[in-house]
Amino acid sequence: MNGWILTATVGLGAGVGATVWGVATGPLRRRVVAQNMSSAVACPGLLLLSQGFGRPAYLDLALLLALLGPAGTLVFARLLADDLAADPPHARAVTLAAAGYGAVVVLVLCAVTGPGRTMAKLLVIGALLIGGNLVASRALSGGFAASRRG
Amino acid sequence: MNARTTGRVVLEVLGWWAGLTLLWQVLISTADTLEWVVGASAALVGALAARAARRAVGAR
Repeated sequence: MNGWILTATVGLGAGVGATVWGVATGPLRRRVVAQNMSSAVACPGLLLLSQGFGRPAYLDLALLLALLGPAGTLVFARLLADDLAADPPHARAVTLAAAGYGAVVVLVLCAVTGPGRTMAKLLVIGALLIGGNLVASRALSGGFAASRRG
Repeated sequence: MNARTTGRVVLEVLGWWAGLTLLWQVLISTADTLEWVVGASAALVGALAARAARRAVGAR
């Protein structure tokens, strides 16, 4: 157990625990936001675990999650567009907090790793994670309905 | 399709191909000749797909 693994455990336990609670309870607008946040919180945890175990190859898991998490949210946003248009979620603070958490983790890991291919990979993962979540969050709060209106 | 359109298509596919090849090289762990060949081939397929997808979205 080192500091990386400890941070990852706390982040995964508290963050993903909270999102599971959010997905399982409450109205639809809260559930979809929690579903979107689950990948935004789990991905930095996987990055930290990869650093903690000293296995850069484990970064691929975080890359996959950063790519597929927002894609999954977009599917939900599309399928539930009508329900969400009637009661749209507003989760700007949560989205920005998750994006900030991801950015801090990626930047710290970049600083530790130093320049090289691994750092480039980390930056790609960070861009996918933050960009994907911002786009998915915007789609949840009415992006699809707005685009349908033209 | 005239020469100018062809040039634009080639330029677009080339752009996608360069970006995707770079991405492939960043994401793999060991960069040798075989990886370059495989990556460049996969990136070419991806570049054609990306252009098709962009046209499909643009035509909406």
